[in-house]
Amino acid sequence: MSFERIKPHFPWITLVVLILIVGIANPSFFDPAGLLTLVSDVVPLFIMALGMTFAIYIGGIDLSVQQLANLVTVIATVYLAEFGIAVAVIAIVAGFAIGVISGFVTTRLYVPSFVSTLAMGFVALSAAKFLSGQRALYMDAELRDASFGWMFGNTAGIPHELAIAVVLLVVAWFLQTRTTFGRALKAVGSGELAAIASGLNVDRVKILAFAISGVFAAIAGLLFSVKLSGGDANLANGFLLLAIVAVLVGGTPLTGGVGGVVNTAIGTLIVMVIRSAMVYLEIDATQQQMVFGIVLIAAIALTIDRSKLRGVVK
Amino acid sequence: MYELRQVDKHFPGVHALKAVDFKVNRHEIVGLVGENGAGKSTLMKVIYGAYQPDGGDVLIDGTVVRFQNPRMAMDHGIGMVFQEQSLILNLTVMENIFLGYEQQFVKLGVIDWKAMSEAARRQLAKVKLDIDPAMTTSDLSFAQRQLVELAKVLTLEERIDGDLVILLDEPTSVLAQEEVELLFSLVRDLTKRASFIFVSHRMEEVLELSDRIYVMKDGAVVDVVAHDGADKDAIQHKMVGRDVDKEYYREQKQKPYDEDKVLVRFDGVSSGNRYTDISFALHPGEVLCLVGTEGSGREAILRTIFGLETPTKGQVTIKGETISRFTAQNGVKLGVGYTPRERKIEGIVAGMNVYENMTLSQMGNYASAGVLKVNEEKSLARTWIERLGIKTPDVYKDCGGLSGGNQQKVVLAKWRSAGADIMLLDHPTRGLDIGAKEDVYEMIREMCAAGVGVVLVADTLEEAIGLSHTIIVLKDGAFQKRFDGKPGSKPSLYDLVHHMI
Amino acid sequence: MTDITAQSAPGARFLTRERIIKWTPLLVLVFLVLLFPFFEWLEDFGAGKEHMYLADSRFFSIRNAARIFIAATPALMVAIGVTFIIIMGSIDLSMEGTVSVCAVIFAFAFIGWGGTLASWAWLAIPVALLVGAALGFINGLVHVRLKIPSFMASLAMGFVGTGLALLLTGGDRIRVEDELFRSLLTVRWFNFPIMVYVAAVMLLIAWFIQSRTTLGRNFYAVGGGEELAHASGLNVNRVRIMGFTLAGVFFAVGALLAVGRIGIAETATGNNFMFVSITSVVVGGTALWGGIGGVWNTLVGVLIVNVINNGMVVIGLPNFLQDGVLGILVILAVVLSTDRKSVSFVK
Repeated sequence: MSFERIKPHFPWITLVVLILIVGIANPSFFDPAGLLTLVSDVVPLFIMALGMTFAIYIGGIDLSVQQLANLVTVIATVYLAEFGIAVAVIAIVAGFAIGVISGFVTTRLYVPSFVSTLAMGFVALSAAKFLSGQRALYMDAELRDASFGWMFGNTAGIPHELAIAVVLLVVAWFLQTRTTFGRALKAVGSGELAAIASGLNVDRVKILAFAISGVFAAIAGLLFSVKLSGGDANLANGFLLLAIVAVLVGGTPLTGGVGGVVNTAIGTLIVMVIRSAMVYLEIDATQQQMVFGIVLIAAIALTIDRSKLRGVVK
Repeated sequence: MYELRQVDKHFPGVHALKAVDFKVNRHEIVGLVGENGAGKSTLMKVIYGAYQPDGGDVLIDGTVVRFQNPRMAMDHGIGMVFQEQSLILNLTVMENIFLGYEQQFVKLGVIDWKAMSEAARRQLAKVKLDIDPAMTTSDLSFAQRQLVELAKVLTLEERIDGDLVILLDEPTSVLAQEEVELLFSLVRDLTKRASFIFVSHRMEEVLELSDRIYVMKDGAVVDVVAHDGADKDAIQHKMVGRDVDKEYYREQKQKPYDEDKVLVRFDGVSSGNRYTDISFALHPGEVLCLVGTEGSGREAILRTIFGLETPTKGQVTIKGETISRFTAQNGVKLGVGYTPRERKIEGIVAGMNVYENMTLSQMGNYASAGVLKVNEEKSLARTWIERLGIKTPDVYKDCGGLSGGNQQKVVLAKWRSAGADIMLLDHPTRGLDIGAKEDVYEMIREMCAAGVGVVLVADTLEEAIGLSHTIIVLKDGAFQKRFDGKPGSKPSLYDLVHHMI
Repeated sequence: MTDITAQSAPGARFLTRERIIKWTPLLVLVFLVLLFPFFEWLEDFGAGKEHMYLADSRFFSIRNAARIFIAATPALMVAIGVTFIIIMGSIDLSMEGTVSVCAVIFAFAFIGWGGTLASWAWLAIPVALLVGAALGFINGLVHVRLKIPSFMASLAMGFVGTGLALLLTGGDRIRVEDELFRSLLTVRWFNFPIMVYVAAVMLLIAWFIQSRTTLGRNFYAVGGGEELAHASGLNVNRVRIMGFTLAGVFFAVGALLAVGRIGIAETATGNNFMFVSITSVVVGGTALWGGIGGVWNTLVGVLIVNVINNGMVVIGLPNFLQDGVLGILVILAVVLSTDRKSVSFVK
């Protein structure tokens, strides 16, 4: 097997190697219950990264996801009493709408997605501050359990959270690989001009990609809100960069068209392993952030497939 | 003084240069001709240091040299005037001229703009161009940029003590006749100081300017002709490997078109300043060729038919339907297929495989409720791979890794399989080797026989004449002349050139 | 011959599309500066109070201008640094980490060596600049040598920087209370504190680098056509690494001004610089794909963002609305300053 053939497999090889290193250094890492908890904890981040993958896959980026998730935590908390489980619908519609607006601003007004999604994030933040009255809000425990308690049960030892993540991954994977939309996404990401010259409605594809990113961010926010039983305009802060990192480390480069949602699953697990490894390897809390950064550089250097980065590396 | 001995160059799957011997003497102008894909551009890249040969030697004055990059070649007096404009448009003219060599104008870390400007003026004077060196390059015309490129390379004169070798890659393609003559007299003047390697598609120009002509075919030098002994037909014969005749363009298969039906009609259509007041009609079975120089509006007309450009005036009718919304989706729906010039960027999607590319314009036909029927896609791809003889290991092959000819066939299969009956071909044979070109010509004839109307922007005038039923000559976006091209009574090259410039 | 030179180049006309678009960011700034006093006037007019437009404005006053400038200077330094990178068509997201590290190391060195500018502690300033340069240099090396796109390389370097700052401080805040150093903020010449003049000098230096040095011009060459620049013999990798190093120095200056403004150095000193600075650069009219724009654009962009922020407070816009309004105005500013004819598609 030549080097060229192994390259696309680097992300998961990196993951396995990391797991082995941590596991050998501290065998308690392999404790199944502990692993399950670790994986469940990373689910909201994973869902956010899953959505982000669509934006990055077309060569754009979505910086609004964190604020969007914040907004959704507030929406869920404020309207839970009134709408019950239907609050999920409101959340998803909000995510979709903000994604569509970002996409519209990007494609029709020629504002780079870096700026348009950032700006839409500010708009979402405003809405979150307005709805929450700039206070941390708490859900009524009974109401929460009645509507969303099912999210956090266990069936046959599998946390429901994890099941939700797997279902969403399968849905995203199906969208990406089996539908005309997914094919169009790939065409836009790999060769936008050729997609245009083939008569694809490129603008619509892009707008939808941002909309999907918004929907996933909303689901992540909802999960987060239920998990922490509350809402706050700052609840999901710190997730944006991690979500981007998860996508990139998984092997979906910013240039688009390469990688995909399965890569993001691997990328999220890599991020998770690095972070938890520092706990297992008893690295001092003040050192963790720096170690994370350094390991991240190494992981990115290993996982990106440079032959797929067409043209110059900018 | 400059010499290549037995130079070899391989790329994955291609033997691009086969034991090439090449020599340039002092004060000499050497012509280099060959079909697209014959290895000219690879050879040039070896000469100016962008590629390193796998075998053989590069010698200057008898010493073996090895260039790691273009800069090293430049330091040995070898400069390149690029065909595709190599000036950086957001910089000023003088910055472009001295790019990478600004140090001479730096005093205490500060660029002396005045000194640079004066030096730039001296360089521009060499090419007799009187413009302000502080102008932004994007504000220049194409012809001016070409001269600035030459001026830039001529800075080697001051920098290098030894001899100069200057490569001119298709320098005349954007120039008008007077400008070509000016360029030629400049080049002749400059042979006092430099040798030139002149690469051009225009055989007459090569014959006129060169002292010796190297003829390349399939990566090898097949002949070297002296100026006096040069004969156009003989050289062309060597380039192609046999006579370029009616057979080549499949003229015997050119059948009269159906005059009663109209596929596309333009009535006094204008689009901004790209083209004005254009009228024509395209019929089933017709090859209509748009001829003109770069920027004459040919491509813009194609893009209008496809729906990528909205005209500002006039009426476009496709199959009896007057178009009001110009979108590519609409064009595809009406059965228009578009084969763009930039095959690798606009034609195929590199990174997607053969069947994905083939169904890209017609995914709806291979999906139900948005879910793709991949097996049907694959069988479609297999059918067309066989039908057009596309050389690919399987349907999963990344189209970016196919050869140019096979990429083009994938693009054509994409439209043909979707049932497009108006085909817009922009330089469909650009960069293809002879065999692949002939395949494309064959396909054009087949399409016509099947009642498809073709609008063609050809790679060469010969191709335009050979293939077309109708030729429309454009100049600066305006209609000049219409020629009928029935087999046996085709217009001559001269007829066309006369109206083009 | 005459044919070639006599052609009137499109640039010869006075009011071209390009020129108008080039000046749009400044027009937006002027418009905003006139807009906020209008709201004030409107409010007083509605309340029946005497109010002369501009003259009675709290927004349009020297005191408020100083406030805007003070808030803008650290961000301006960081934004200038990233401007060079964006002109090259790359991006640098490491500023938050770099600013924090520089601030913290500066504070430690400053206090350790005497704690006042009147002692050897002034050496902490060049040390901070060197640290910024070193971080930028490493960032450039990681990007160029490991062939990692600058977005990812600098993002990860940002994490390393923040982590390093955290490691150094252990999460503590370091107070820099030297009066001489704090005179950056406290001493005013002609109504403006010294830090504003420092920023102005740095801006002029940046402009000098941009317009009068080989390095500065090479940024434009790389952004305008990297492969062409390479073919012309330019050492593109060297230009890139130098660019990131230079950006690091400006981030360090930003860190010094930030410490001078608040009097505290901590891990969080760098917070919020990333998005604000990049937004400012883009709003000022420097395109993310490189080749156009410059430090004056960035000045205008930083001022636009800060004027919006300040103006919203002055006219009493509810706090929760301010982020959203900023977002919308940023989109508008970018829309107005983009030449849509020159972009084929945007991602």
